[in-house]
Amino acid sequence: MLASLGAELLKIRRRPSTWVLPLIWLAIIVLLNYTLTYALLSNVPPPTFPDGTPKAQQERVREQQEQFQEQQLRALYPENLVRNLIPGYPSVGAPIALILGALTVGSEYGWATFKTILTQRPGRTALFLGKLLALGVILALLVALTFATGALSSLVVAALAGGQIKGPPPGELLRALGAGFLILSVWASLGALLSTLLRSTALSIGLGLVYSLVLEAVIFNLPINSESFTNARKFFPGQNSSSLADSFSTQAPTQLAPQTPQIDAAQATLVLLAYTAVFVALAVFVFSRRDVE
Amino acid sequence: MTEGERRQPPLVETSGLGKRYGAVTAVEDLNISVRRGEVYGFLGPNGAGKTTTLRMLLGLVRPSSGTATVLGGEPGSPQGLRGVGALVESPAFYPYLSGRDNLRVMARYCEAPPSRVEEVLGQVELAGRARDKFKRYSLGMKQRLGVAGALLKDPELLVLDEPTNGLDPKGMADMRAIIRRVGRGERTVLLSSHLLGEVQQVCDRVGVIQRGRLLIEGTVEELRGGSGILVRVEPLEKAREIAAGLDGVEGAQIREGLLMVDTDPGRAADVNAGLVSAGLRVSELRPVERSLEDVFLELTGGETV
Repeated sequence: MLASLGAELLKIRRRPSTWVLPLIWLAIIVLLNYTLTYALLSNVPPPTFPDGTPKAQQERVREQQEQFQEQQLRALYPENLVRNLIPGYPSVGAPIALILGALTVGSEYGWATFKTILTQRPGRTALFLGKLLALGVILALLVALTFATGALSSLVVAALAGGQIKGPPPGELLRALGAGFLILSVWASLGALLSTLLRSTALSIGLGLVYSLVLEAVIFNLPINSESFTNARKFFPGQNSSSLADSFSTQAPTQLAPQTPQIDAAQATLVLLAYTAVFVALAVFVFSRRDVE
Repeated sequence: MTEGERRQPPLVETSGLGKRYGAVTAVEDLNISVRRGEVYGFLGPNGAGKTTTLRMLLGLVRPSSGTATVLGGEPGSPQGLRGVGALVESPAFYPYLSGRDNLRVMARYCEAPPSRVEEVLGQVELAGRARDKFKRYSLGMKQRLGVAGALLKDPELLVLDEPTNGLDPKGMADMRAIIRRVGRGERTVLLSSHLLGEVQQVCDRVGVIQRGRLLIEGTVEELRGGSGILVRVEPLEKAREIAAGLDGVEGAQIREGLLMVDTDPGRAADVNAGLVSAGLRVSELRPVERSLEDVFLELTGGETV
């Protein structure tokens, strides 16, 4: 398996799409999470008051606005790095990981390269596990890169705003790195499984994105008032990814969908681990048994 | 191939090997054996089941029936594949990598030393274009890279599936030269082709397959049958008796008003002298050699290749 891992790492790191997709995410972090938010907060026009507004009231409103701006800016400082970045994992990172997983396996079918590498002797299980391990290495790098980019951006914002430069608690940072890796892993393994089952890249990416972005939300909003349905919803990968990310928030969860079940971080971690294990095992099983055309 | 090599167990042996895809039978009850050190030609029309058979021998496709052993092991097992290099159908590599990097990737999979990459690039005369991306290669270069990939392990058994497919005449000649070169020495080559001339030029033994079934297996000479000399001579019956008694002649038969003498065509002058000295009137002698194509058309009832 180590031989396969070495070969996969050589292939995967030379492949442009391996870096284009993460770069898009990093650009989103820099531009949307930090630059745009900082620009908006720094350029809020001063409040205007109708004639005759008492001076004390005007002062109070100005003070409230400054406090609000200060509070929002503080959310961009390094100490809030985790809370600022982790919500992007289920929403932006998950689709990117799904595409990377699908490309890693599906492209081999598209280029018909499985027959070439399988005749080189690695053995099917070792080959596939080596491929998934290499994907895991890329995901780990991606997690590190997102946090490094976020840290750098937050340092710049804090320096510009004259804010306090203090990192997040190490324990929280480590938990966030692990949670981020787990969220990406479950979606990447789903992408790998779909492309193994469908022997195609495009269809597996399409189906995976439809599920992650649309289907799960549709299922969640079905007007079914049943306890078993409510319980079943606690075991969906998207819901558990979001719950794990939300567990880092200090605020009460926003209830856009009032009937969304609440899942604690421990359960979400277990469910996501189980999904990753099942997706990987199923993909390896199917790949090792099917003919390679 | 030496007598010792002939006595060793076959490198590849199949017994009743078959593959069905739903109602379609691709290969049925196939029994072939490839001996150590030979170049074995697997000959058949397009769609005869050659590639499916090779895929089964490499473990890419599971047989529906029968068994096969490759280098004494189960097809596709890492142990069995240790000594096997293969190019199956069109060469498939990573388009965004150079030829050299593609081979580096393959070398990592098969745990070949990195130095083998440069060696095999030299063997297939691709060293000068090794930095170019695979997607920029011509078909001939892709085929050569495929052979290079198959040679990385310095394999005991080289499996080549239609290696000259789609090449221009020069590319085909170059590829045949490469096959002859890499097939020298103790290496065994299993070459699948629908090109009769190619098989006749390159192979020691041949298995002919049609509609998934093996029709015949033997050396090229055995398949082509004995060569001989066709003689127009009078009187025929006396000529047959005299010719049959000449040195180096294995037999003589009358066929359609001519005398067919089973002997080396190089003995035409001796046959002529023998008949003339017996007072017979010889008006024509011509060598007769059946080509593999003649044999193939007889076996397959004229199905084109």
